[in-house]
Amino acid sequence: MATLSFLCYREYARITGLFRERTISLIVVIGILFITFAALDNWYRLFVALFPLTVALIATGGLIPDQPKGYIQRVGLGVLGFALFGSALGNLGYMANDWNYRPILLLIIFAVELNDIFAYICGYLFGHRKFVPNTSPNKTVAGALGAIVLTTPLFALGAHFVWFGTALDTPVRLLGLGVIVSVVGQFGDLMLSSIKRDLGLKDTAKLIPGHGGILDRFDSLILVAPAMFHYVNYFVGFAAGQPQRIFSGWEI
Amino acid sequence: MEPWKLEPARDTGLTPSERFRSVRRESGLLESLAHHVCFSMLRSYFAIAHRLTIIGRDKLPAHGPFVLAANHCSHLDALILGAALTPRHRERAFPIAAGDVFFQSNVTSTFSAIMLNALPMWRKNCGPHALADLRRKLQEEKAIFIIFPEGGRSRTGSMMPFKHGLGMLVAQTNVPVVPCGLVGTFEALPPHRRLPQPVAIKLVLGDALQFASTANDRTGWSQIAAQVESSVGDLVTQSRTA
Repeated sequence: MATLSFLCYREYARITGLFRERTISLIVVIGILFITFAALDNWYRLFVALFPLTVALIATGGLIPDQPKGYIQRVGLGVLGFALFGSALGNLGYMANDWNYRPILLLIIFAVELNDIFAYICGYLFGHRKFVPNTSPNKTVAGALGAIVLTTPLFALGAHFVWFGTALDTPVRLLGLGVIVSVVGQFGDLMLSSIKRDLGLKDTAKLIPGHGGILDRFDSLILVAPAMFHYVNYFVGFAAGQPQRIFSGWEI
Repeated sequence: MEPWKLEPARDTGLTPSERFRSVRRESGLLESLAHHVCFSMLRSYFAIAHRLTIIGRDKLPAHGPFVLAANHCSHLDALILGAALTPRHRERAFPIAAGDVFFQSNVTSTFSAIMLNALPMWRKNCGPHALADLRRKLQEEKAIFIIFPEGGRSRTGSMMPFKHGLGMLVAQTNVPVVPCGLVGTFEALPPHRRLPQPVAIKLVLGDALQFASTANDRTGWSQIAAQVESSVGDLVTQSRTA
């Protein structure tokens, strides 16, 4: 997960030009390292504390060049970068602390990828009305709705087996989770389209032939991770009964 | 420091291997760290194994853009000039290296780009656009170029005539050229040897030369080459006799 976060952040920093701001970039990278540690350590309090603390550090690090012109842009980009690739993707890493982590992660990744495919197929078959023509001209209303209609029950079915017999295992709650994954997944896709369109780029990098960069592949996952994490956390909780603070838990 | 611009890296859209060979390359956080570590280690190595003495280090301009032009008779030359720069300078320093030696295979080009921050110069089919790209990079990115205007390593240890390419980079610009004389590198690692010998090396930096009023044409380029050649030649003789 840390590797994925770093690769995504690297592409983001290069397309936005944030990589030229060495101090802010370094703080974001350190933040991602700490988030990874908190997830590995199963230390929820640190995990939660890291977002405001890193934002404060980025805002402080932005002062170092002593150049107020562009301060808001530099710090804003740094905070967005950490929020998306450190904090949001970190939620996916934290989910891996659950004893049942394999089906959970597989379910999310499959659902998000299927969601994209359903949107494409429904848009191709029934799409007439453009959804957000300025952001992404190929997206249609039918595609978006079709993806929600198809992904939600499939995801709910999968989730029923993953969280069998828990507080989450009621039809309404499972369908609610399905809708969240589908809708938020599509927003993640649109978010990256907006970022790329703002910068006038087609792909974020040329790493995988025919696919663009890592960020182009994992865009839908970025927003799904925190939305789903906190929804499930509200009803069931992650890593219940697992040892806490595995590495840092020794007494002084 | 320049004002903030929302501008993607100039090398966006290149595959990793194209990027390493590209003049548009911009280093990221890890690559910068690699250059720093590499040149700091080289500096210690030269100080210990070659008792490197640097004379006239105060003649380096405070910041880029500027060009270091030196005589060339060993692979050690570019490493010494890179190691002689301050850490602040190193961030933007690019040794201009022969494409056919350092950028032929993926392994060597990755090493040259990541560790040395080198830029390729293709000696056989380098068109005017290659030098125009370098000229633009020098000014836009406030870069520091390490250049050997002889166009290759001297096989005898004595200086060869300087080529025009340097003139094409700096004619009619405010970019200063710092002439550098290197003594001892031929004895330490001549072109026919594979491993360096522990021979003392001396680097002498001269006063920066300006070519803002020199015409950007063939005559101007020759003038620049001749002027830098004589400065470097003087520095070499001066340090040999000293």
